[in-house]
Amino acid sequence: MKSKFFALALAGGLLAATALAGAPAHADVKIGLLGGVSGPIAAMAPAMIDAAQLAFQQVNEQGGVLDGQKIVGAVGDSACSPQGGTDAATKAVNIEGVTAIVGPHCSGAVLAAAGSVTIPAGVTVVTPSGTSPEITGLADNDTVFRTVPSDDFQGRALARTLKAEGYSKVAVAYINNDYGTGLANAFKSEFEAQGGEIAGFAAHEDGKASYRSNLADLASGGADTLVIFDYGDGTGLTLLRQALENGFFEKFIGGDGMKSDAPIKELGAENLTTFYASSPVGEKSDALNVFNEAFKAAGGDPDAIFVTTSYDAAFLLALAVEKAGGDKAGIPAALRAVSSGEGEAILPGEWKKAKELIAAGKAIDYKGAAGDLNFDQAGDVPGAYSLFKVGANGFEVVSEMK
Amino acid sequence: MTFLELVNFYIIPGLVLGSIYALGAVGITLVFAILRYAHLAQGDLATLGAFVALAVVTGLGIPPLAALPVAMIFTAAVAVGIDKVFYEHLRERPKIVTVMASLGIALMIRSVVQVIWGVDAESYVRGIVRPQTYFGLRIKDREIYTVLFMLFLVGGLMLFLARSKWGKAMRAMSDNPNLALLSGIDNRKVVMLTWIIAGGLCAASGVFLGINTEIKSMMGWNMLLPMFAAAILGGVGRVEGAVLGGLVVGVAEELSVLVLPSEYKAAMAFVILLFMLLVRPTGLLRGKVL
Repeated sequence: MKSKFFALALAGGLLAATALAGAPAHADVKIGLLGGVSGPIAAMAPAMIDAAQLAFQQVNEQGGVLDGQKIVGAVGDSACSPQGGTDAATKAVNIEGVTAIVGPHCSGAVLAAAGSVTIPAGVTVVTPSGTSPEITGLADNDTVFRTVPSDDFQGRALARTLKAEGYSKVAVAYINNDYGTGLANAFKSEFEAQGGEIAGFAAHEDGKASYRSNLADLASGGADTLVIFDYGDGTGLTLLRQALENGFFEKFIGGDGMKSDAPIKELGAENLTTFYASSPVGEKSDALNVFNEAFKAAGGDPDAIFVTTSYDAAFLLALAVEKAGGDKAGIPAALRAVSSGEGEAILPGEWKKAKELIAAGKAIDYKGAAGDLNFDQAGDVPGAYSLFKVGANGFEVVSEMK
Repeated sequence: MTFLELVNFYIIPGLVLGSIYALGAVGITLVFAILRYAHLAQGDLATLGAFVALAVVTGLGIPPLAALPVAMIFTAAVAVGIDKVFYEHLRERPKIVTVMASLGIALMIRSVVQVIWGVDAESYVRGIVRPQTYFGLRIKDREIYTVLFMLFLVGGLMLFLARSKWGKAMRAMSDNPNLALLSGIDNRKVVMLTWIIAGGLCAASGVFLGINTEIKSMMGWNMLLPMFAAAILGGVGRVEGAVLGGLVVGVAEELSVLVLPSEYKAAMAFVILLFMLLVRPTGLLRGKVL
């Protein structure tokens, strides 16, 4: 009796669920915007989400997708952690019923969300900031893309740049997650291949109050330069503060995660004269200028980290939705088609032109703010990096990294 | 490595961290002794205290130590309010219900903090402070007063428990609530007093953590495991045990880097917790209630 009732309830529930899932297809097109709103990259996330929303806003202002439907960004908090990424992706896929996802922001969140939610559900994700080399090797049925280059490139470029600028002995502290580990290993192998010496190489856990013993341990190798692969809003700030206060190291080099305003705000630019950070940058192009103007006009800071990649991820997905006719399964192929390097060039914000060309059956090629974004087999893009130092008005470019 | 390096970079940070853990652990141990459940919102109450102090510091422009009493009083009031609104209704239910409820409270407090103050890392005073050298020991002022304040607060609490009428009532209720009730002790007032003390100590641990590092919305939650390890290590229900436990956990975490890869530092508190529960569940100082 009880089981019969249960079966009935289940059937009813399923019916209701199908009805709910069916409904949004005729209304707006939802695209998930999963970002590390809370957690260690909290200071970076708002600008990134704003940039993606700007892309959707431009699409909606210029006629919307398909038959004039609006794109709605469904914001979710992936908290920059595997657990948070999975939760946010589950909600986006199962409850919001998104067509595709921009994000999640952190590598660990991307790997977890992709592995347990989006790949099984066949939902395409384009991460603007998940940089771990691990993402390249995901068995993803071609559903995981990124508009940011893999850290394999960044780690190696940073190693070559440091070696070329005369650093020969460094210690490396990295956060014990997919982002930190991937970047640190790429850096280490290239730095050693270039003849440099790694005098200390240790992971640390997020969220501890003191890292002085870790730093003392790293400093015992005799290096005067500490390379930090961590988040500047999180543990990286604590690490940097304690290293500065106790004089463990003289020079500090950060990865892209450390290029955050938090260290400048909390420690003061006057204390960060020997701090450098590498970061992916948009290659100078018309597309970048167009984006910068548009984002400035919308009240954003175009120099904030990962805003170009976030914008591109969102705009590309909108193009792919249009190209695929709203078909979820067709998005990966459409994504490659709209940014293949062949066809009429589309700059950021040129939605109307792109829509007309797609309707006419012509090939288009999106030139993104962050680069040309021609995806390779694994859904990765090549990238350009610069080394930044802290100046009077925030981060300033020192040199390009090769 | 010289002896001085060991003291400077491992022992001193460990003691400072241990003092912060100790303040939270005393609250945990008191709640356990009198109300008989593990209070999981302790860490996030500490976060709340730290952010209240931040509001006072930025609002009035006074140093964080001067804002400490305000934060302690405010957090104590919040703790009492939470007890009245949530835990009081669960008093007669199995204890595990209250434990789970406290987890919910922890999430609620954290969300409120995130809504009001945001999720960025903040600090009371901008810039960095380099330590002074005393006879080769590198110590910052704030580290000295973190330890001194912890000793002062806990000393005061122990004196209160040993000498005052209400302190005795608290101990009586910890020994046997029914007997205490029969002897004319107002259990409800004792419970309220417990929350005032636990809330105040929580705020103190949060503020001191904030003074020594940064203020983040996850700071308290990250401290929860070490604080529980400290309370259990010292012997649940023993205030002096929680202090000893806190200091041992703090130093053990820092020293663990010498022998273990540093990514396992965070697991140290967990190892201590498991080890004590297996080998000596009553704790170092023979706790009363477990």
